[in-house]
Amino acid sequence: MASLSEEVLLVVKRVRQRKQDGTLYLMAERIAWGPEGKDRFTVSHLYADIRCQKISPDGKAKIQLQLVLHTGESTTFHFANESTALKDRDATKELLQQLLPKFKKKANKELEEKNRMLQEDPVLFQLYKDLVVSQVISAEEFWANRLSLNSVEHSLSNNNKQEVGISAAFLADIRPQTDGCNGLRYNLTTDIIESIFRTYPTVKQKYAENVPHNMTEKEFWTRFFQSHYFHRDRINTGLQDIFSECAKEDEKGLKSMVTQGVKNPMVDLLSLEDKTLDEGYGTATVPTTSNSSNKSLRENSNSAIIKRFNHHSAMVSKAYTPLDILTSLFVAFQVKLQEAIEYDDLQGDSGRKTISLNLKKSDRYSHGPIPLQSQHYSTSQDIINSISIIQHEMRSYKPRLTQVMSSSAASSAITALSPGGVLMQGGGQQTINQLVPTDVQSELKHLYTAAGELLRHFWSCFPVSTPFLEEKVVKMKSNLEKFQVMKLRPFQEKIQRQYLSTSVRPQNIFWGGNAGIWQNGKCSKK
Amino acid sequence: MLELKRTLDAKGHGVLEMPSGTGKTISLLSLIVAYHKAYPLEVTKLVYCSRTVPEIEKVVEELRKLMDYYAKQTGAKNDFLALALSSRKNLCIHPEVSSLRFGKEVDGKCHSLTASYIRAQHHSNPSQPVCQFYEQFDAVGRQVPIPPGIYNLDDLKDFGRRKGWCPYFLSRYAILHANIVVYSYHYLLDPKIADLVSKELTKKSVVVFDEAHNIDNVCIDSMSVNITRRTLDRCQTNVETLQNTISRIKETDAAKLREYRRLVEGLKEANVARETDMYLSNPVLPDEILQEAVPGSIRTAEHFVGFIKHFLEYLKARLRIHHVVQESAPQFLKDIYEKVCIDRKPLRFCAERLRSLLRTLEIADIADFSAITLISHFATLVSTYSKGFTIIIEPFEDRTPTIANPVLHFSCMDPSIAIKPVFGRFQSVIITSGTLSPLDIYPRILDFRPVTTASFTMTLARTCLCPLIVGRGNDQVAMTSKFETREDFAVIRNYGNLLLEMSAIVPDGIVAFFTSYIYMENIVASWYEQGILENIQRNKLIFIETQDAAETSMALEKYQEACENGRGAILLSVARGKVSEGIDFVHHFGRAVIMFGVPYVYTQSRILKARLEYLRDQFQIRENYFLTFDAMRHVAQCVGRAIQGKTDYGLMIFADKRYARADKRGKLPRWIQEHLTDGSLNLTIDETVQLAKYFLRQMAQPFRQEDQLGLSLLTLEQLQSEDMLQKIAQIAQQA
Repeated sequence: MASLSEEVLLVVKRVRQRKQDGTLYLMAERIAWGPEGKDRFTVSHLYADIRCQKISPDGKAKIQLQLVLHTGESTTFHFANESTALKDRDATKELLQQLLPKFKKKANKELEEKNRMLQEDPVLFQLYKDLVVSQVISAEEFWANRLSLNSVEHSLSNNNKQEVGISAAFLADIRPQTDGCNGLRYNLTTDIIESIFRTYPTVKQKYAENVPHNMTEKEFWTRFFQSHYFHRDRINTGLQDIFSECAKEDEKGLKSMVTQGVKNPMVDLLSLEDKTLDEGYGTATVPTTSNSSNKSLRENSNSAIIKRFNHHSAMVSKAYTPLDILTSLFVAFQVKLQEAIEYDDLQGDSGRKTISLNLKKSDRYSHGPIPLQSQHYSTSQDIINSISIIQHEMRSYKPRLTQVMSSSAASSAITALSPGGVLMQGGGQQTINQLVPTDVQSELKHLYTAAGELLRHFWSCFPVSTPFLEEKVVKMKSNLEKFQVMKLRPFQEKIQRQYLSTSVRPQNIFWGGNAGIWQNGKCSKK
Repeated sequence: MLELKRTLDAKGHGVLEMPSGTGKTISLLSLIVAYHKAYPLEVTKLVYCSRTVPEIEKVVEELRKLMDYYAKQTGAKNDFLALALSSRKNLCIHPEVSSLRFGKEVDGKCHSLTASYIRAQHHSNPSQPVCQFYEQFDAVGRQVPIPPGIYNLDDLKDFGRRKGWCPYFLSRYAILHANIVVYSYHYLLDPKIADLVSKELTKKSVVVFDEAHNIDNVCIDSMSVNITRRTLDRCQTNVETLQNTISRIKETDAAKLREYRRLVEGLKEANVARETDMYLSNPVLPDEILQEAVPGSIRTAEHFVGFIKHFLEYLKARLRIHHVVQESAPQFLKDIYEKVCIDRKPLRFCAERLRSLLRTLEIADIADFSAITLISHFATLVSTYSKGFTIIIEPFEDRTPTIANPVLHFSCMDPSIAIKPVFGRFQSVIITSGTLSPLDIYPRILDFRPVTTASFTMTLARTCLCPLIVGRGNDQVAMTSKFETREDFAVIRNYGNLLLEMSAIVPDGIVAFFTSYIYMENIVASWYEQGILENIQRNKLIFIETQDAAETSMALEKYQEACENGRGAILLSVARGKVSEGIDFVHHFGRAVIMFGVPYVYTQSRILKARLEYLRDQFQIRENYFLTFDAMRHVAQCVGRAIQGKTDYGLMIFADKRYARADKRGKLPRWIQEHLTDGSLNLTIDETVQLAKYFLRQMAQPFRQEDQLGLSLLTLEQLQSEDMLQKIAQIAQQA
């Protein structure tokens, strides 16, 4: 076997397999094991074939690692080196943990990609049949050329892969198992961890903060399962619980979701009632003002569970729903109303024409739309409908002044759009480029960067909190003034002398900007 | 249609039950509009009352369709004026005011900009802010009639913006000459508001109460008052403010306080530009208001404040008790006379007198004075009505006997009091809803004599509803939310299993209703402990209604999202809760409704007991009969949420063995009852799953228009053919 050319990532000696001592090799694309004294591998698995790895629990006499293949077979390795067995095993496990997910996706992706290419391109398919099926060249060779050719397109289409949702019951899947004595064992897979992170971003944050600086991964998850956060119904005992913060964050998140309100007025319970009775009228019992104190502990924990379920479900469905679906759900209220009063069976035959499903490329159907080649099937009826809907919406359009974009974004957009900005370089600049000699241009550039640097120093002093900074501000101010006198003035005069008619504009802009900043600076200093 | 026509001809009242989604609204509208067109002198106006804002808007949209059809068929220009009226919150276009989130804030702010004396001040002092929209309207809006058309809330706002007029006052003014008015019950039933808004509607109007299954509770609510210690404390500060204001005004401007004359003349104020003043009107019904002079003892401002102070002290003393007291209004009056020598007559004038005082004192923020207004209303009500009301003073809540929280309930027990003037005033009142069974009870508790009562069913091309009564778990343990067994582990587990099994076979959305919040919380907690919820989560997402409306709205929206994107979800909710009352679960938002238990009202409440007693004595309705009726109408409401028309389909699962009994079953609406076969009365969970699977598979088949033609859908030719007319007549006969 051509194993020599492969990169060996890890070698573990004294590993037993089927009661035979040997050496375990972890290579770039496969894991292999060879018995002692022989120079060939009796066991060799591509990473892509491996479904998962399992390890023996701590405290067991035998320290083992099991690989389960997609075919269902499994191979068990026994680490037999007494002193370092555990370390060896963990090193292997860590490495595998990093390697396996890569290959898992790659294998599927490649196959899919190849399949897709063949089905889309009849010429290629013919070629494939001619070359590969007739065994002129091997499949690998064939694809080696092809895939590199298409790598650009390849990565593009991969980015648009449909995201997989999260199972609602992923927490239930982590069934604790008793291990005989008084312990509990949880099985975590990368999928579950991914789900936890996506559903509870705060946990992810904690993970990033604490692992591996403060604790090991294992410790982190142990604490997670012990925490009050996981068992929301239990009473909080651990003061050192790192997850108590998470709970608070979640609460905040839920609250912000609530205060955001709902977009669909048909389900907004707050605005449902037209005229509420004033306080004090009606037979309904008055809600007690001190509800937290007289509620029993049990009731509190019950409502905590309910809150948690709502939050959990909301997060799961949020992680699952792509943004564009979310926005499309928000249909104008008018349309909802119309929908609500329409009886579809009473609509005459003039209803919109349906387009029957025409699957020329069934593969594309099952793999989701590919936006590059999407086609529009819209009847004129559809277009008229949508125009009228848009008109409707525009009529009831109301600018929401509270939800405009941030000032920084706005100002960056303005600079990008003003002459000299990123987006305006095409038009006005070009003439100047042609008119002004390069040396002047480069001088202007130098001046600009220099001024920018000075201003950066200047602004970094704000807010002026220490005497040192104050000093620096004053110094920087004088520097700027100096710069103005020494460099900018002469340059400006020079320009005015030479290109009086043509290039005043960029100068002015440069200046105007500067002066504005100056004034601002002075104001904020006072 | 036939029944409705008969009712209109006879100029009487009617009770009609029609399943939701069968075109109830449109048939009512089209017939009444046609009647109005044919006999413009007999029926001059249609007042359509509905319950929630979305429903009001729906009605107006349907009306718009109808009018479009008229225009298309006749070619004539529409000369109808129809409009919706809602609270300021939904109609305000003032940029500052309308940005407020709560109705009360909007009302308060609006009042501080439009009250008559504020506007008077504006004349002398232009810096005083006023609402320019109202000013505009007041200047020109009244002279120019609003052009005929259909105005929904948004249309009114548009119109208002274009003209610069306030849409709220515009619509309040325009209802006087509009042909059709659509608004909420309260504008007609609550005497405090009705007096302001609906006073001048003509007698020859037809009034329709849609979604009226709860109308008796609305009536009762509008006449009942609760007083807590906090109310009294706030009232105390109100009194102090009043006193200070009076003494201050006395020093500066004694002339202002000369309302004496007006009071002697019997409260007939010049009604100029008073519509903006938001003082709640007299809580007593119009025919009970005394048309005489205010008694001398409370004519001057100081005397009246002193009088209120006395009354307040007395109430405080009454709340300082340690045992429950229940008494009638005359008893209360006797007691108050003996203890503090307050007579009945001045009490009756309390509300009016306070109104006049507040107006004289020109107090800007009326919202602060809600406490004292409440007290004065209580005084007026208690001294006006001697029958149909009861006073209950509870020193503490039943569940927390150690915490003193005295409450005085002044509770109305007779819904007919509030609705009586409506029946008396308008020539035809139609009460309708999807669920009004049993029909005979409504005329009894509302005390009127209907010309027609009818319950209609749906003519279906396929049985699109499937009611099932689940009585036992797979272990044969009876499933019931009966008080004795509701905490039983087996029952809770069986309920959980039922939900679990259903979550596995029902597509998209499932809505489950519990009997109360507390019961739901307990069950959810124990399901969580037993791991049932985790298993359900494998199939669907779970959302739960909470007591907080905002939180629930969010959960609801997420629930719909989850149904929309195909993941499927379960909504755990509460019968009598907000969700069960106002939210429809059309099509895939509700493919199954599960009703856990029978939602009896909390029977230990003293108010309810008093009401039951009253019903028994006055109307000969037995307690149990009423309780079951009340529970079953809520069940029908909950279950009916899922079926919105004949193209919709859904399972209805009644998970309690008591539903199988005739007294419960018989109180379900006819359109549900007729699909309830004897075979589906006491099922186990397994059998339910089998039946449900079969039903769902049937329903999932494509449902084409041709299938319905001739059965539940008729073409014009079919409609004109002779056989079909006979067939319809036959169906109508059976009904």
